[in-house]
Amino acid sequence: MTALTAPAAPIRFRAVRDSALIAGRNLRVLRKNPGRMIFPLVQPVVLLVMFVSVFGNLALAGHGAAGAYRQFLIPGIIIQNATLTAPITGLALLRDASSGLADRFRSLPMSRAAVLAGRAASDAVVFASQVILLLAVGTLLGLRVSAGLPGYAAIAAITVVYGLALAVLSGWFALVIGDPETAERILFFPAIALSFISSAFAPVSDLAGWMQPIARATPVTAAAAAIRAIAAGGPLGAPLAELGIWLAALLLIAGFLAVRRWNAPK
Amino acid sequence: MPAVEVTAVRKAFGQVKALDGVDITVGQGSLTALLGPNGAGKTTLVRIIATLSRADAGTVRVLGFDVARQPADVRARIGLTGQYAGLEELLSGRDNLVLIGRLAGLRRGEALRRAAELAASFGLASAEGRLVRTYSGGMRRRLDLAASLMTRPSLLVLDEPTTGLDPGSRRQLWAALMDLRAEGTTMLLTTQYLEEADRFADLLYLLNHGKVIASGTPAQLKASTGADATLDEAFLALTGNTTETP
Repeated sequence: MTALTAPAAPIRFRAVRDSALIAGRNLRVLRKNPGRMIFPLVQPVVLLVMFVSVFGNLALAGHGAAGAYRQFLIPGIIIQNATLTAPITGLALLRDASSGLADRFRSLPMSRAAVLAGRAASDAVVFASQVILLLAVGTLLGLRVSAGLPGYAAIAAITVVYGLALAVLSGWFALVIGDPETAERILFFPAIALSFISSAFAPVSDLAGWMQPIARATPVTAAAAAIRAIAAGGPLGAPLAELGIWLAALLLIAGFLAVRRWNAPK
Repeated sequence: MPAVEVTAVRKAFGQVKALDGVDITVGQGSLTALLGPNGAGKTTLVRIIATLSRADAGTVRVLGFDVARQPADVRARIGLTGQYAGLEELLSGRDNLVLIGRLAGLRRGEALRRAAELAASFGLASAEGRLVRTYSGGMRRRLDLAASLMTRPSLLVLDEPTTGLDPGSRRQLWAALMDLRAEGTTMLLTTQYLEEADRFADLLYLLNHGKVIASGTPAQLKASTGADATLDEAFLALTGNTTETP
């Protein structure tokens, strides 16, 4: 065996480098197992087409003529699908945590945040593919974005960051639950509940009375409102500020808790 | 300076005392084996030494670094082959080695060279491009060991490295470990195969109920039981014929 040269100097930007390596690994695994893309890509399109076909021609009180509901519904479905896709990150992280790979990673002198950040980075590709597909199909079904291409790009960017924030939260939840089978059964429930107790499908004022205060204070409502504002070309300040607070809080707090949980000595 | 110095280490999981005041020393360049019934505390001790777990009390120093206070320094100098293969099934053997090497700090070119070298050393050269999920149990174990050697660690920690392998694969793995010992790599391992410990280890520590109940060379442990005792007989006599620690 030839002698191995140790790195001459400490590696700069180690966290970024290690996260990119983990993300690359996740994407290569995804390429080898394309079946894992069926849920995040095919199911959302089916849901979009079904929801729009069933409810799209309803007239919504205070939202103009029949058909205008599509303009309201499609952003909601985009955010609903990002919400339902987020638990996949938690389950994948837990799969790593429950395998021999976790001990391998933890015994290496790598960044302690890289496994979570790399997972989030590779899942950003999934969220981006999903929203691009949904925007394309949504446009065919009647979605109009007044700002054109920059508007579409802004909606895609918001959806990806929103998906990542919930993905990081699901990562923390999954690591707290600890058991992959239990996590699989538990994680999707709050995602489903969150997407219904919100303005994803109906204005908050039309929801049941007990639901309204909760629905007003969820990130789903904030994200759907931001996308609708972009699509309509309306004022963006308030919806983007509210969403920004949600996303920053989720990414920072849930990210910190998830990294701490991943690295906690057993 | 010893490679590993464990002093008065305690660790409990709830009411169960996994380690109850353990002291061990592993000399540099030696092969030291931890023996004991299931549940004796071997894996707990190995996990603390490898920075994966934290002792409730006591100190552990690896190559002079405190595992609790300087874990990054320890991680930069050890290789770990755990009980369960630390490999990605849906990547090739080569990609696994390169990924682990790069995460350990190697540059891409170095990682590729080292991966090819180790694949050849461990008889995996013809399979290095195949997905790990197509590997046999013996090939996975050898790849797992190769992965822990990507940065040429000063201390190799192995938790039951040959468990579940057929005799041929065990022989191949031990041949690789003996090559490493000849190169001066310090090794600390746990094993249930007493004949392996008898044949290859320089020093044995016998654990039971979280305590070291005997230590010495294989010859010393056997002699403590009787003139013609085997290591199996010594093990049973010293552990009181315990099959498993509750």
